[in-house]
Amino acid sequence: MKRKNGSGVQKKVFFALVVVVLFLSILNVVKANGLLIPKQKPVDVDNKIVDLQKMTLEQKIAQMVVVVGDPQNYWPWRNLQLGGIHLFSRQTEHVFNNTVIDFQYQMPIPFFVTADLEGCVSPFGFIREFTPASEVDTVEKAFAKGVEEGQFLHKLGFNLNFAPVVDLKDDIWKCRSFPGDEAKISELAQAYLTGLQTQQVLGTAKHYPGKTLIVKDPHKYVVAAEIGKKDVYPYQYLVEKGEVKAIMVSHVISSGQIDSSGIPAVASKKVLDELRVNYDGLIVSDEIHMLGLKNYYRSLDEVYIAVFKAGNDVVLNFDKDPNEIYNMIQVIKAAVERGEIPLAQIDASVTRILEAKGFRVI
Amino acid sequence: MVSERALFIINISLGLFSVLLLLMLLGLKLPTLGQAQYALDEEEPVCMIQWQEELTPYQDIDRCCLQARQQFQCRAESKDTVDWMCGSGEGLQIWLNNKAYNYCRQQPYW
Repeated sequence: MKRKNGSGVQKKVFFALVVVVLFLSILNVVKANGLLIPKQKPVDVDNKIVDLQKMTLEQKIAQMVVVVGDPQNYWPWRNLQLGGIHLFSRQTEHVFNNTVIDFQYQMPIPFFVTADLEGCVSPFGFIREFTPASEVDTVEKAFAKGVEEGQFLHKLGFNLNFAPVVDLKDDIWKCRSFPGDEAKISELAQAYLTGLQTQQVLGTAKHYPGKTLIVKDPHKYVVAAEIGKKDVYPYQYLVEKGEVKAIMVSHVISSGQIDSSGIPAVASKKVLDELRVNYDGLIVSDEIHMLGLKNYYRSLDEVYIAVFKAGNDVVLNFDKDPNEIYNMIQVIKAAVERGEIPLAQIDASVTRILEAKGFRVI
Repeated sequence: MVSERALFIINISLGLFSVLLLLMLLGLKLPTLGQAQYALDEEEPVCMIQWQEELTPYQDIDRCCLQARQQFQCRAESKDTVDWMCGSGEGLQIWLNNKAYNYCRQQPYW
């Protein structure tokens, strides 16, 4: 009798545990897909005019974030109304096109759709080959390359290209930089940008402040470089010509002409403030999961605050986990609310982003 | 049908599994087999960039991983000291040894 009772209890416990396991499994799957992230109310857009006062702080911060446009994260990225999606390689034009259309469908503020199309570095290798920058040696060829790549990107729905590279030397890839000295590289980059931007695709000069493509000492934890006047020349030239709409800042710890005071350039307010003196375009952070950056801070939350606080307008965070992206937005929101990051700085960044997307901001 | 003893063991397992699921729900990140593999591997991570016929070592392993991830696929293919080739089409190729590949796979964007 007693044995029978014991068995009955075990059975009840078993069924209860099965229900608990099933429930928790479903909750975990729902959470992993970002479906527990609260939906943002749509940004109020009237006739291409955005009233900044009507945007919530979360909406503003979300506009500053570019993530990987993985279709698996279709709902969370749209719900959060993020600033942009970056697309990795796919096999056909059709797949690229459909991904962009799906993401952009009925978004009040469209995503930046970004790619790394430089020539030899390209996510479109299965579809088409492009001329490597290293083989472009005249202004005419650079302009033609810009037009060709711009047309191709525009056709697929891209509107922001993380190119051209204006590093003076490319000892590693051998194909990403234009040939010549700093003056020649600057002229070629300007022509490329002009061509690209005639096709409604914005260009990005990278990787500020330079020297990211040279062989370094095999030190695992720091990527450091001595920056000279020549390294910065292309940026000064392009800013002066008014041609560059975005500049990407790297995680290199720089000294010399641009001194990041021992911290990664992308997290250095000093470096970004100096860049900002004559430049009012977008400042884009390099992807933030870099060892040089991560090892410098105790936690990812600190990395987030450092990168936003430094003054980057657009922050690339390619973490696939939508909960982590949501966490980043919440961390920055809290930092703004306690005055660690000025709201005026966030507003200025969002204004630049919205203007780059073709909106008027009031 | 199932003995009481077996049911007791199953219940304990389900209980432990529930706790794990609850911890995961609360944001606990459990170490993966890949991380263990990476930690036990004493090799140095190697990344090589191949443009046309030229192979160049690349010490910035993080940037290497990100570029590798942007390629369409990485497949097992041996060449000198490297074991994985990442590429999209015929152009540029990124080669990684097992240590570097396991490191890249731990990155949140992989």
